[in-house]
Amino acid sequence: MSQVIVTKYKKKIHINFKKVASRFSIYLLFICITCIVFLPIMITVVASVKTAAQLGSTSPLAFPSLNEVTLENYKTIFSSGKLFTAVKNSVFLVVISVVFNAIIGSTTAYVLERFQFKLKALIYGMFLLGMLLPAYITEIARFQVMSKLKMYNTLGAPILIYIATDLMQLYIYRQFVQKIPIALDESAMIDGAGHFTIFWRIIFPNLLPATATLAIIKSVDILNDMYIPYLYMPSSELRTLTTMLMDFSSSLTGSWQMLSAAIVIVMIPTILLFIFFQRYIFAGIVAGSVKE
Amino acid sequence: MNINSRNRNVFIFLSLVVPIVLFLLFVVYPSLDLFRMSFVNWDGVSKDQKFIGLDNYKTMIFDSPDLWKSLCNTAIYFFIHLLFIPIELFVAVLLDSKIKGAKIFKSISFMPYIINGVAISYAFSYLYSPYGGALNEILESIHLEGAIQNWLSDPKVVNLSLASVSLWRYCGLHIILFLAGLQSIPEDIIEAATIDGANFMNKFRFITIPSMTLVIDFVLFANVRGAMQMFDIPFVITGGGPGYASSTFTLYSLKTAFNFNNFGMASTIGVAVFIIIIVVALIQNKIVKMARGKNA
Repeated sequence: MSQVIVTKYKKKIHINFKKVASRFSIYLLFICITCIVFLPIMITVVASVKTAAQLGSTSPLAFPSLNEVTLENYKTIFSSGKLFTAVKNSVFLVVISVVFNAIIGSTTAYVLERFQFKLKALIYGMFLLGMLLPAYITEIARFQVMSKLKMYNTLGAPILIYIATDLMQLYIYRQFVQKIPIALDESAMIDGAGHFTIFWRIIFPNLLPATATLAIIKSVDILNDMYIPYLYMPSSELRTLTTMLMDFSSSLTGSWQMLSAAIVIVMIPTILLFIFFQRYIFAGIVAGSVKE
Repeated sequence: MNINSRNRNVFIFLSLVVPIVLFLLFVVYPSLDLFRMSFVNWDGVSKDQKFIGLDNYKTMIFDSPDLWKSLCNTAIYFFIHLLFIPIELFVAVLLDSKIKGAKIFKSISFMPYIINGVAISYAFSYLYSPYGGALNEILESIHLEGAIQNWLSDPKVVNLSLASVSLWRYCGLHIILFLAGLQSIPEDIIEAATIDGANFMNKFRFITIPSMTLVIDFVLFANVRGAMQMFDIPFVITGGGPGYASSTFTLYSLKTAFNFNNFGMASTIGVAVFIIIIVVALIQNKIVKMARGKNA
């Protein structure tokens, strides 16, 4: 159904109502999705800048005016001293895990992709099957291994788990290695380079996008991880951002405004990573999930 | 063996030895051990583990009402997510169009997935709280007091409350995966179909859906696996309570191991998780194959 409108300049403009209506409803849907996504976040942010009295008397969606906004809740969280420990531990876990994952993942993918040898299919199949295993449940048995290795209550336990499991990076690296022409390897070999040199000087630098993707995805996963730090690092010196938040929850029961401040602080790192590195996160999720 | 060959083998060995050893030690061995432990009775501390054969399995199937309740609760997550998969596909189709701003909404849809799970669970705790909770306050302010519930303490409602949190977190992931699948369909095929006179529904049924088999299969599998492993949300918000009203299968298993010190039974439940995932995934596969057979 379209209507013809004659303008001042005698031009005829066709308005296709069906198209306008469908555009409108699509935007309406998008706005609904945005509201649903932001509702719990906004409520938390709003609560984090209110005092207990304001919390009780005003609507949860009402942002207090500029002179009523209070940063007391944030000050309390920052001065508790727990935040520094948590950030330190979380960053340490992320950096060490990413470095090892990058080295191990890239070399493993390169070897599995470029070389033929006995047991190759077996090894590859083994890694594949490993990805099927339920994550939390295996902790029941993995816990014993960690205890026997005397790694319980150390930073080593989560690091070992983050490196040994979750081999999604194998797929990401494998796809990138496939894109590097074999001619590159061969010409380097003709020039007399050994395999180690070929890998470090030629292959790895070409895998930088994959490494970046891996770094971002792993960072998000580790920063958001709860159960592994919760199970393996009960010591208060070894709290991560997530387990620190759990501590706050039990000690701040009823004080929603302070807990909200802690929630916002813990949410910020991965949100920032997402805002700045969206491209890598999307690439990694898709590559790691839909295996060829 | 010449030097090159030696060099090559050394390189292969050194590159693979670390990941393989780590994998064997922390993935393969615990999995096999889990299976073994399902046949013993062990409290996690004492030296011996008594072999009791299929006793754990018998107890699990015939004498664990709380476990079966947990399984029912887990099924709620599974079916609710399943219901939303077509909706997610629909949103992905909308996001795939050349509408202005689609990119921003794509980011917004995905954001819940990368937000810290524990943080957002506490945020929802505040939302659902009976004492000055945000949701009840909002309902009051728009005069919908009748809709006020005990979101987290009413056994009839608590699973739906928690499943909503799960929907909030994971719908975005499915939407993005579907979107990736949609964007991998070559333009020329769609154009050719349009030229041949196909309308939207035809193109959707005969080009879009068949091209997305890989993604759809993956999302369906991820749904089973995710539902069976649902742990964070109920653990943080209600701890499985009240009683076991919101307990999930994995939560019950981990509780059995680390709270009740019954590693044997917990392992048995773990084996059950694995089996259920595989069985449901195979059934889903069969159903999808039959549906595809009808279309082709």
